[in-house]
Amino acid sequence: MSDLPAVPDLGTESPCRAASVARRPFGRLGMALALATGLGLSACATVPPASDPEALAEFRETNDPIEPLNRTVYTFNEGVDTLLVRPAAETYRILIPPPIRSRVGNALANLREPVTLLNDLLQGRPDRAEATLSRFLINSTFGLLGLFDVATDWGYPRHSEDFGQTLATWRAEEGPYLMLPLLGPSNPRDLLGRVVDTVSDPFTWVLPDGAGTARTATGVIDTREGLIEPIDTVRREALDPYAQIRSLYRQRRNAEIENRTAPRSP
Amino acid sequence: MSHSRRRALIAGLSLFALLPTLGGARAQGADPAAATDFITRTGNELVALVNREGMPVAERRAAIAAILRRAVDIDGVGRFVIGRYWRIATAAEQREYMQLFEQIIVRNLSARFGELRGVKYTVNRGMQRTEEDAIVSTTIERPNAAAAVVEWRVSRTDNGQLRIVDVIAEGTSLRLTTRSDYAAVVQRNGGKVEGLLAALRQQLAQITEREQANAR
Repeated sequence: MSDLPAVPDLGTESPCRAASVARRPFGRLGMALALATGLGLSACATVPPASDPEALAEFRETNDPIEPLNRTVYTFNEGVDTLLVRPAAETYRILIPPPIRSRVGNALANLREPVTLLNDLLQGRPDRAEATLSRFLINSTFGLLGLFDVATDWGYPRHSEDFGQTLATWRAEEGPYLMLPLLGPSNPRDLLGRVVDTVSDPFTWVLPDGAGTARTATGVIDTREGLIEPIDTVRREALDPYAQIRSLYRQRRNAEIENRTAPRSP
Repeated sequence: MSHSRRRALIAGLSLFALLPTLGGARAQGADPAAATDFITRTGNELVALVNREGMPVAERRAAIAAILRRAVDIDGVGRFVIGRYWRIATAAEQREYMQLFEQIIVRNLSARFGELRGVKYTVNRGMQRTEEDAIVSTTIERPNAAAAVVEWRVSRTDNGQLRIVDVIAEGTSLRLTTRSDYAAVVQRNGGKVEGLLAALRQQLAQITEREQANAR
Protein backbone atom coordinates (compact mmCIF):
# COMPACT_ATOMS: atom_id res chain seq x y z
CA MET A 1 0.00 0.00 0.00
CA SER A 2 2.96 2.30 0.64
CA ASP A 3 4.04 2.38 -3.02
CA LEU A 4 0.83 4.10 -4.03
CA PRO A 5 0.96 7.75 -5.06
CA ALA A 6 1.02 10.27 -2.26
CA VAL A 7 -2.24 12.12 -1.84
CA PRO A 8 -2.42 15.65 -0.52
CA ASP A 9 -3.85 16.07 2.95
CA LEU A 10 -7.39 17.24 2.37
CA GLY A 11 -7.20 19.26 5.51
CA THR A 12 -8.10 18.60 9.11
CA GLU A 13 -7.50 22.28 9.85
CA SER A 14 -9.86 24.80 8.37
CA PRO A 15 -10.00 28.57 8.08
CA CYS A 16 -12.45 28.37 10.97
CA ARG A 17 -9.83 27.56 13.56
CA ALA A 18 -8.17 30.94 13.17
CA ALA A 19 -11.39 32.84 12.67
CA SER A 20 -13.45 31.29 15.40
CA VAL A 21 -12.75 33.99 17.97
CA ALA A 22 -15.21 36.29 16.23
CA ARG A 23 -18.60 34.65 16.63
CA ARG A 24 -21.53 35.77 14.52
CA PRO A 25 -20.31 39.32 13.92
CA PHE A 26 -22.73 39.91 11.05
CA GLY A 27 -25.85 38.19 12.37
CA ARG A 28 -28.31 37.10 9.72
CA LEU A 29 -26.37 38.69 6.87
CA GLY A 30 -23.28 36.78 7.94
CA MET A 31 -25.29 33.55 7.95
CA ALA A 32 -26.62 34.27 4.47
CA LEU A 33 -23.10 35.01 3.26
CA ALA A 34 -21.85 31.88 4.94
CA LEU A 35 -24.57 29.84 3.26
CA ALA A 36 -23.75 31.42 -0.08
CA THR A 37 -20.01 30.94 0.15
CA GLY A 38 -20.08 27.67 2.02
CA LEU A 39 -17.73 29.00 4.67
CA GLY A 40 -17.77 32.05 6.80
CA LEU A 41 -16.96 33.60 10.13
CA SER A 42 -20.39 33.01 11.59
CA ALA A 43 -20.28 29.38 10.51
CA CYS A 44 -17.46 28.44 12.84
CA ALA A 45 -17.67 26.46 16.05
CA THR A 46 -16.03 27.83 19.20
CA VAL A 47 -12.65 26.24 19.84
CA PRO A 48 -12.20 25.29 23.52
CA PRO A 49 -9.32 27.09 25.31
CA ALA A 50 -5.91 25.40 25.57
CA SER A 51 -6.39 25.31 29.36
CA ASP A 52 -8.95 22.52 28.87
CA PRO A 53 -6.99 19.80 27.03
CA GLU A 54 -9.77 17.19 27.26
CA ALA A 55 -12.30 19.53 25.68
CA LEU A 56 -9.77 20.43 23.01
CA ALA A 57 -9.11 16.74 22.28
CA GLU A 58 -12.84 16.14 22.00
CA PHE A 59 -13.20 19.14 19.66
CA ARG A 60 -10.48 17.73 17.38
CA GLU A 61 -12.06 14.27 17.44
CA THR A 62 -15.47 15.68 16.56
CA ASN A 63 -13.68 17.52 13.73
CA ASP A 64 -16.68 19.66 12.86
CA PRO A 65 -15.27 23.20 12.73
CA ILE A 66 -18.21 24.62 10.77
CA GLU A 67 -20.82 22.94 12.99
CA PRO A 68 -23.22 25.93 13.18
CA LEU A 69 -23.42 26.09 9.36
CA ASN A 70 -23.67 22.29 9.13
CA ARG A 71 -26.56 22.32 11.60
CA THR A 72 -28.39 24.96 9.51
CA VAL A 73 -27.99 22.79 6.41
CA TYR A 74 -29.11 19.75 8.46
CA THR A 75 -32.31 21.54 9.48
CA PHE A 76 -32.96 22.39 5.82
CA ASN A 77 -32.33 18.76 4.77
CA GLU A 78 -34.64 17.49 7.51
CA GLY A 79 -37.40 19.77 6.19
CA VAL A 80 -36.96 18.51 2.62
CA ASP A 81 -36.91 14.93 3.89
CA THR A 82 -40.03 15.30 6.01
CA LEU A 83 -41.99 17.09 3.29
CA LEU A 84 -40.84 15.23 0.19
CA VAL A 85 -38.34 12.38 0.38
CA ARG A 86 -39.69 10.27 3.26
CA PRO A 87 -43.31 10.52 2.02
CA ALA A 88 -42.14 9.46 -1.46
CA ALA A 89 -40.26 6.50 0.05
CA GLU A 90 -43.32 5.52 2.11
CA THR A 91 -45.57 5.72 -0.97
CA TYR A 92 -43.09 3.61 -2.91
CA ARG A 93 -43.15 0.99 -0.13
CA ILE A 94 -46.95 0.94 0.00
CA LEU A 95 -47.55 0.85 -3.78
CA ILE A 96 -44.73 -1.38 -5.02
CA PRO A 97 -44.70 -4.99 -3.73
CA PRO A 98 -41.44 -6.30 -2.21
CA PRO A 99 -40.41 -8.60 -5.11
CA ILE A 100 -40.52 -5.67 -7.56
CA ARG A 101 -38.70 -3.35 -5.15
CA SER A 102 -36.03 -6.00 -4.87
CA ARG A 103 -35.69 -6.14 -8.71
CA VAL A 104 -35.36 -2.33 -8.80
CA GLY A 105 -32.68 -2.42 -6.09
CA ASN A 106 -30.79 -5.13 -7.98
CA ALA A 107 -30.89 -3.20 -11.27
CA LEU A 108 -29.62 -0.02 -9.59
CA ALA A 109 -26.85 -1.96 -7.87
CA ASN A 110 -25.86 -3.55 -11.17
CA LEU A 111 -25.43 -0.11 -12.76
CA ARG A 112 -22.97 0.70 -9.91
CA GLU A 113 -20.68 -2.25 -10.65
CA PRO A 114 -18.35 -0.46 -13.17
CA VAL A 115 -17.50 2.16 -10.49
CA THR A 116 -16.89 -0.59 -7.93
CA LEU A 117 -14.72 -2.44 -10.46
CA LEU A 118 -12.60 0.66 -11.15
CA ASN A 119 -12.09 1.26 -7.43
CA ASP A 120 -11.30 -2.42 -6.70
CA LEU A 121 -8.46 -1.98 -9.22
CA LEU A 122 -7.35 1.41 -7.86
CA GLN A 123 -7.22 -0.15 -4.38
CA GLY A 124 -4.94 -2.88 -5.73
CA ARG A 125 -7.45 -5.70 -5.21
CA PRO A 126 -7.54 -7.81 -8.40
CA ASP A 127 -9.38 -10.58 -6.49
CA ARG A 128 -12.29 -8.27 -5.66
CA ALA A 129 -12.15 -6.72 -9.15
CA GLU A 130 -12.54 -10.17 -10.66
CA ALA A 131 -15.59 -10.85 -8.46
CA THR A 132 -17.12 -7.49 -9.46
CA LEU A 133 -16.52 -8.08 -13.17
CA SER A 134 -18.00 -11.59 -12.91
CA ARG A 135 -21.04 -10.19 -11.12
CA PHE A 136 -21.57 -7.51 -13.74
CA LEU A 137 -21.29 -9.95 -16.65
CA ILE A 138 -23.46 -12.64 -15.01
CA ASN A 139 -26.18 -10.31 -13.75
CA SER A 140 -26.35 -8.20 -16.93
CA THR A 141 -26.98 -11.35 -19.02
CA PHE A 142 -28.41 -14.26 -16.99
CA GLY A 143 -29.80 -11.78 -14.49
CA LEU A 144 -31.77 -9.98 -17.22
CA LEU A 145 -30.04 -6.56 -17.22
CA GLY A 146 -29.39 -6.80 -13.50
CA LEU A 147 -32.97 -7.38 -12.37
CA PHE A 148 -31.93 -10.66 -10.74
CA ASP A 149 -28.82 -11.05 -8.61
CA VAL A 150 -27.92 -14.58 -9.73
CA ALA A 151 -24.21 -13.88 -9.18
CA THR A 152 -24.65 -13.96 -5.39
CA ASP A 153 -26.06 -17.51 -5.65
CA TRP A 154 -23.12 -18.43 -7.90
CA GLY A 155 -20.61 -17.45 -5.25
CA TYR A 156 -19.99 -13.78 -6.03
CA PRO A 157 -21.65 -11.77 -3.23
CA ARG A 158 -22.04 -8.03 -3.78
CA HIS A 159 -19.67 -5.48 -2.36
CA SER A 160 -19.51 -1.79 -3.05
CA GLU A 161 -16.55 0.52 -3.51
CA ASP A 162 -16.29 4.20 -4.36
CA PHE A 163 -13.53 6.72 -4.91
CA GLY A 164 -13.92 8.17 -1.40
CA GLN A 165 -12.97 4.74 -0.04
CA THR A 166 -10.11 4.49 -2.53
CA LEU A 167 -8.72 7.84 -1.33
CA ALA A 168 -8.90 6.51 2.23
CA THR A 169 -6.93 3.40 1.30
CA TRP A 170 -4.36 5.78 -0.19
CA ARG A 171 -4.11 7.31 3.30
CA ALA A 172 -5.86 10.60 2.47
CA GLU A 173 -7.35 12.29 5.57
CA GLU A 174 -11.14 12.63 5.60
CA GLY A 175 -11.03 16.32 6.53
CA PRO A 176 -13.68 18.22 8.50
CA TYR A 177 -17.27 16.97 8.65
CA LEU A 178 -19.58 18.50 6.06
CA MET A 179 -23.37 18.47 5.86
CA LEU A 180 -24.18 18.98 2.20
CA PRO A 181 -27.50 20.45 1.06
CA LEU A 182 -29.75 17.57 -0.15
CA LEU A 183 -26.83 15.11 -0.31
CA GLY A 184 -26.40 14.83 3.47
CA PRO A 185 -23.34 13.88 5.57
CA SER A 186 -19.91 14.04 3.92
CA ASN A 187 -16.37 15.37 4.18
CA PRO A 188 -13.92 16.77 1.60
CA ARG A 189 -12.57 13.28 0.83
CA ASP A 190 -16.01 11.81 0.19
CA LEU A 191 -17.20 14.91 -1.68
CA LEU A 192 -14.26 14.64 -4.08
CA GLY A 193 -14.98 10.91 -4.27
CA ARG A 194 -18.59 11.58 -5.30
CA VAL A 195 -17.49 13.87 -8.12
CA VAL A 196 -14.96 11.32 -9.41
CA ASP A 197 -17.55 8.51 -9.11
CA THR A 198 -20.03 10.45 -11.23
CA VAL A 199 -17.46 11.33 -13.88
CA SER A 200 -15.92 7.85 -14.01
CA ASP A 201 -19.29 6.07 -14.20
CA PRO A 202 -19.81 5.01 -17.86
CA PHE A 203 -23.58 5.10 -17.36
CA THR A 204 -23.36 8.84 -16.61
CA TRP A 205 -22.37 9.27 -20.25
CA VAL A 206 -24.15 6.35 -21.95
CA LEU A 207 -27.69 6.70 -20.59
CA PRO A 208 -29.95 9.23 -22.36
CA ASP A 209 -30.85 12.31 -20.28
CA GLY A 210 -34.26 11.09 -19.16
CA ALA A 211 -32.94 7.69 -18.14
CA GLY A 212 -30.11 9.26 -16.12
CA THR A 213 -32.57 11.42 -14.19
CA ALA A 214 -34.88 8.43 -13.65
CA ARG A 215 -31.92 6.44 -12.34
CA THR A 216 -31.00 9.17 -9.85
CA ALA A 217 -34.59 9.66 -8.67
CA THR A 218 -35.21 5.93 -8.29
CA GLY A 219 -31.89 5.60 -6.48
CA VAL A 220 -32.89 8.24 -3.94
CA ILE A 221 -36.32 6.66 -3.31
CA ASP A 222 -34.90 3.12 -3.12
CA THR A 223 -32.15 4.13 -0.68
CA ARG A 224 -34.55 6.16 1.47
CA GLU A 225 -37.07 3.29 1.56
CA GLY A 226 -34.37 1.03 3.01
CA LEU A 227 -33.56 3.67 5.63
CA ILE A 228 -37.09 4.37 6.88
CA GLU A 229 -36.70 2.37 10.12
CA PRO A 230 -33.04 3.23 10.89
CA ILE A 231 -33.65 6.98 10.49
CA ASP A 232 -36.92 6.79 12.44
CA THR A 233 -34.96 5.08 15.23
CA VAL A 234 -32.35 7.86 15.28
CA ARG A 235 -35.05 10.55 15.33
CA ARG A 236 -36.87 8.73 18.14
CA GLU A 237 -33.93 7.73 20.33
CA ALA A 238 -31.29 10.43 19.82
CA LEU A 239 -31.09 13.38 22.18
CA ASP A 240 -29.25 15.23 19.40
CA PRO A 241 -29.95 13.53 16.03
CA TYR A 242 -27.39 15.74 14.25
CA ALA A 243 -24.61 14.48 16.55
CA GLN A 244 -25.72 10.85 16.20
CA ILE A 245 -25.80 11.04 12.41
CA ARG A 246 -22.31 12.59 12.40
CA SER A 247 -21.01 9.69 14.49
CA LEU A 248 -22.93 7.04 12.51
CA TYR A 249 -21.70 8.41 9.17
CA ARG A 250 -18.05 8.26 10.24
CA GLN A 251 -18.32 4.78 11.77
CA ARG A 252 -20.16 3.46 8.74
CA ARG A 253 -17.63 4.92 6.29
CA ASN A 254 -14.73 3.45 8.28
CA ALA A 255 -16.41 0.04 8.21
CA GLU A 256 -16.86 0.37 4.44
CA ILE A 257 -13.26 1.44 3.96
CA GLU A 258 -12.02 -1.57 5.94
CA ASN A 259 -14.53 -3.82 4.14
CA ARG A 260 -16.14 -4.82 7.43
CA THR A 261 -19.73 -4.50 6.18
CA ALA A 262 -21.78 -7.54 5.25
CA PRO A 263 -22.15 -8.63 1.65
CA ARG A 264 -25.57 -7.41 0.58
CA SER A 265 -28.22 -10.01 -0.05
CA PRO A 266 -31.87 -9.38 -0.92
CA MET B 1 -0.68 -54.48 34.24
CA SER B 2 1.30 -54.02 37.45
CA HIS B 3 -0.12 -52.15 40.34
CA SER B 4 2.36 -49.25 40.15
CA ARG B 5 1.90 -48.79 36.43
CA ARG B 6 -1.85 -48.61 36.83
CA ARG B 7 -1.44 -46.03 39.56
CA ALA B 8 0.86 -43.98 37.32
CA LEU B 9 -1.71 -44.19 34.54
CA ILE B 10 -4.50 -42.99 36.82
CA ALA B 11 -2.31 -40.18 38.09
CA GLY B 12 -1.52 -39.20 34.51
CA LEU B 13 -5.16 -39.26 33.48
CA SER B 14 -6.29 -37.17 36.41
CA LEU B 15 -3.57 -34.64 35.72
CA PHE B 16 -4.82 -34.50 32.13
CA ALA B 17 -8.34 -33.97 33.37
CA LEU B 18 -7.15 -31.10 35.54
CA LEU B 19 -5.46 -29.25 32.68
CA PRO B 20 -8.53 -27.51 31.25
CA THR B 21 -9.37 -26.16 34.71
CA LEU B 22 -5.89 -24.73 35.08
CA GLY B 23 -6.12 -23.21 31.60
CA GLY B 24 -9.51 -21.75 32.44
CA ALA B 25 -8.16 -20.14 35.58
CA ARG B 26 -5.36 -18.51 33.63
CA ALA B 27 -7.60 -17.04 30.89
CA GLN B 28 -8.77 -13.52 31.66
CA GLY B 29 -11.83 -11.69 30.41
CA ALA B 30 -14.49 -13.29 28.25
CA ASP B 31 -13.37 -16.39 26.39
CA PRO B 32 -14.86 -16.75 22.90
CA ALA B 33 -16.55 -20.13 23.35
CA ALA B 34 -18.32 -19.07 26.55
CA ALA B 35 -19.28 -15.73 24.96
CA THR B 36 -20.76 -17.48 21.90
CA ASP B 37 -22.71 -19.82 24.15
CA PHE B 38 -23.99 -16.86 26.19
CA ILE B 39 -25.10 -14.93 23.08
CA THR B 40 -26.77 -18.05 21.61
CA ARG B 41 -28.73 -18.68 24.83
CA THR B 42 -29.78 -15.02 25.20
CA GLY B 43 -30.61 -14.81 21.47
CA ASN B 44 -32.80 -17.92 21.61
CA GLU B 45 -34.72 -16.51 24.57
CA LEU B 46 -35.28 -13.16 22.83
CA VAL B 47 -36.26 -14.64 19.46
CA ALA B 48 -38.74 -17.02 21.10
CA LEU B 49 -40.37 -14.07 22.86
CA VAL B 50 -40.36 -11.74 19.86
CA ASN B 51 -41.93 -14.33 17.56
CA ARG B 52 -44.54 -15.61 20.02
CA GLU B 53 -48.05 -15.03 18.68
CA GLY B 54 -50.86 -13.43 20.63
CA MET B 55 -48.86 -11.98 23.51
CA PRO B 56 -50.07 -8.58 24.73
CA VAL B 57 -47.66 -5.75 23.77
CA ALA B 58 -46.99 -4.59 27.34
CA GLU B 59 -46.36 -8.14 28.54
CA ARG B 60 -43.97 -8.89 25.67
CA ARG B 61 -42.10 -5.63 26.36
CA ALA B 62 -41.75 -6.42 30.07
CA ALA B 63 -40.46 -9.93 29.32
CA ILE B 64 -37.86 -8.57 26.85
CA ALA B 65 -36.80 -5.93 29.38
CA ALA B 66 -36.24 -8.64 32.01
CA ILE B 67 -33.88 -10.54 29.67
CA LEU B 68 -32.00 -7.34 28.80
CA ARG B 69 -31.51 -6.44 32.48
CA ARG B 70 -29.87 -9.83 32.99
CA ALA B 71 -27.80 -9.85 29.78
CA VAL B 72 -26.53 -6.25 29.46
CA ASP B 73 -23.88 -4.61 31.65
CA ILE B 74 -26.04 -1.52 32.08
CA ASP B 75 -23.78 0.18 34.66
CA GLY B 76 -20.69 -0.37 32.54
CA VAL B 77 -22.35 0.91 29.37
CA GLY B 78 -23.75 3.92 31.26
CA ARG B 79 -20.30 4.86 32.51
CA PHE B 80 -18.78 4.40 29.05
CA VAL B 81 -21.45 6.52 27.40
CA ILE B 82 -21.16 9.53 29.73
CA GLY B 83 -17.38 9.39 29.32
CA ARG B 84 -15.33 12.17 30.89
CA TYR B 85 -18.40 13.99 32.20
CA TRP B 86 -18.82 11.33 34.92
CA ARG B 87 -16.00 12.97 36.85
CA ILE B 88 -17.47 16.48 36.76
CA ALA B 89 -20.94 15.22 37.79
CA THR B 90 -21.91 15.54 41.47
CA ALA B 91 -22.80 12.38 43.39
CA ALA B 92 -26.50 13.26 43.09
CA GLU B 93 -26.14 13.83 39.34
CA GLN B 94 -24.33 10.50 38.93
CA ARG B 95 -27.15 8.70 40.76
CA GLU B 96 -29.88 10.34 38.71
CA TYR B 97 -27.97 9.75 35.47
CA MET B 98 -27.65 6.02 36.16
CA GLN B 99 -31.34 5.70 37.04
CA LEU B 100 -32.41 7.54 33.87
CA PHE B 101 -29.92 5.69 31.68
CA GLU B 102 -31.05 2.28 32.94
CA GLN B 103 -34.69 3.06 32.18
CA ILE B 104 -33.96 4.56 28.77
CA ILE B 105 -31.62 1.89 27.42
CA VAL B 106 -33.85 -0.99 28.53
CA ARG B 107 -37.05 0.56 27.21
CA ASN B 108 -35.53 1.74 23.91
CA LEU B 109 -33.99 -1.67 23.24
CA SER B 110 -37.20 -3.45 24.27
CA ALA B 111 -39.13 -1.32 21.78
CA ARG B 112 -36.60 -2.13 19.04
CA PHE B 113 -36.69 -5.88 19.72
CA GLY B 114 -40.47 -5.81 20.01
CA GLU B 115 -40.69 -4.63 16.37
CA LEU B 116 -38.71 -7.55 14.99
CA ARG B 117 -41.55 -9.96 14.04
CA GLY B 118 -40.49 -13.09 12.16
CA VAL B 119 -36.82 -12.61 13.00
CA LYS B 120 -34.21 -15.35 12.54
CA TYR B 121 -30.57 -15.23 13.47
CA THR B 122 -27.45 -17.29 12.95
CA VAL B 123 -24.15 -17.08 14.81
CA ASN B 124 -21.39 -16.49 12.25
CA ARG B 125 -18.14 -18.37 12.31
CA GLY B 126 -14.91 -16.54 12.97
CA MET B 127 -14.38 -15.02 16.38
CA GLN B 128 -12.69 -11.76 17.17
CA ARG B 129 -11.43 -10.88 20.54
CA THR B 130 -9.74 -7.95 22.16
CA GLU B 131 -7.69 -8.00 25.34
CA GLU B 132 -10.78 -7.89 27.54
CA ASP B 133 -13.78 -8.74 25.41
CA ALA B 134 -15.02 -11.29 22.93
CA ILE B 135 -17.03 -10.17 19.91
CA VAL B 136 -19.71 -12.59 18.70
CA SER B 137 -20.97 -11.98 15.17
CA THR B 138 -24.54 -12.83 14.14
CA THR B 139 -26.58 -12.41 10.96
CA ILE B 140 -30.11 -11.18 11.54
CA GLU B 141 -32.75 -11.97 8.94
CA ARG B 142 -36.22 -10.50 8.77
CA PRO B 143 -38.99 -10.83 6.18
CA ASN B 144 -38.65 -8.24 3.36
CA ALA B 145 -35.45 -6.70 4.70
CA ALA B 146 -31.78 -7.05 3.82
CA ALA B 147 -29.87 -9.38 6.13
CA ALA B 148 -27.78 -7.44 8.65
CA VAL B 149 -24.60 -8.39 10.45
CA VAL B 150 -24.88 -7.55 14.15
CA GLU B 151 -21.93 -8.06 16.48
CA TRP B 152 -22.23 -8.43 20.24
CA ARG B 153 -19.35 -7.33 22.41
CA VAL B 154 -19.24 -9.51 25.52
CA SER B 155 -17.25 -8.76 28.64
CA ARG B 156 -16.79 -10.49 31.99
CA THR B 157 -17.85 -8.26 34.88
CA ASP B 158 -15.90 -7.99 38.13
CA ASN B 159 -18.01 -10.70 39.72
CA GLY B 160 -17.35 -13.09 36.83
CA GLN B 161 -20.64 -12.78 34.93
CA LEU B 162 -20.72 -12.53 31.13
CA ARG B 163 -22.53 -9.40 29.98
CA ILE B 164 -23.16 -7.59 26.68
CA VAL B 165 -21.32 -4.24 26.61
CA ASP B 166 -21.96 -3.14 23.01
CA VAL B 167 -24.04 -3.89 19.92
CA ILE B 168 -22.35 -3.19 16.59
CA ALA B 169 -24.77 -3.10 13.65
CA GLU B 170 -23.22 -2.94 10.18
CA GLY B 171 -20.06 -1.41 11.61
CA THR B 172 -21.72 1.17 13.85
CA SER B 173 -21.36 0.79 17.61
CA LEU B 174 -24.34 1.67 19.77
CA ARG B 175 -22.26 2.80 22.74
CA LEU B 176 -19.94 4.99 20.61
CA THR B 177 -22.89 6.62 18.84
CA THR B 178 -24.66 7.25 22.14
CA ARG B 179 -21.48 8.66 23.67
CA SER B 180 -21.13 11.28 20.92
CA ASP B 181 -24.83 12.05 21.27
CA TYR B 182 -24.54 12.68 25.02
CA ALA B 183 -21.26 14.62 24.65
CA ALA B 184 -22.93 16.95 22.12
CA VAL B 185 -25.80 17.61 24.54
CA VAL B 186 -23.43 18.43 27.43
CA GLN B 187 -21.37 20.74 25.21
CA ARG B 188 -24.43 22.55 23.91
CA ASN B 189 -25.45 23.13 27.51
CA GLY B 190 -22.25 24.92 28.46
CA GLY B 191 -20.49 21.75 29.64
CA LYS B 192 -23.09 21.12 32.36
CA VAL B 193 -24.27 17.59 33.19
CA GLU B 194 -27.63 19.05 34.27
CA GLY B 195 -28.33 19.81 30.57
CA LEU B 196 -27.91 16.11 29.79
CA LEU B 197 -30.10 15.08 32.71
CA ALA B 198 -32.86 17.46 31.55
CA ALA B 199 -32.73 15.95 28.03
CA LEU B 200 -32.81 12.41 29.46
CA ARG B 201 -35.79 13.23 31.71
CA GLN B 202 -37.64 14.60 28.71
CA GLN B 203 -36.79 11.51 26.65
CA LEU B 204 -38.03 9.20 29.39
CA ALA B 205 -41.32 11.10 29.47
CA GLN B 206 -41.66 10.65 25.69
CA ILE B 207 -40.90 6.93 25.93
CA THR B 208 -43.59 6.52 28.60
CA GLU B 209 -46.08 8.39 26.40
CA ARG B 210 -45.29 6.16 23.39
CA GLU B 211 -45.55 2.98 25.43
CA GLN B 212 -48.99 3.99 26.69
CA ALA B 213 -50.12 4.87 23.16
CA ASN B 214 -48.88 1.51 21.80
CA ALA B 215 -50.47 -0.50 24.60
CA ARG B 216 -53.91 0.86 23.79
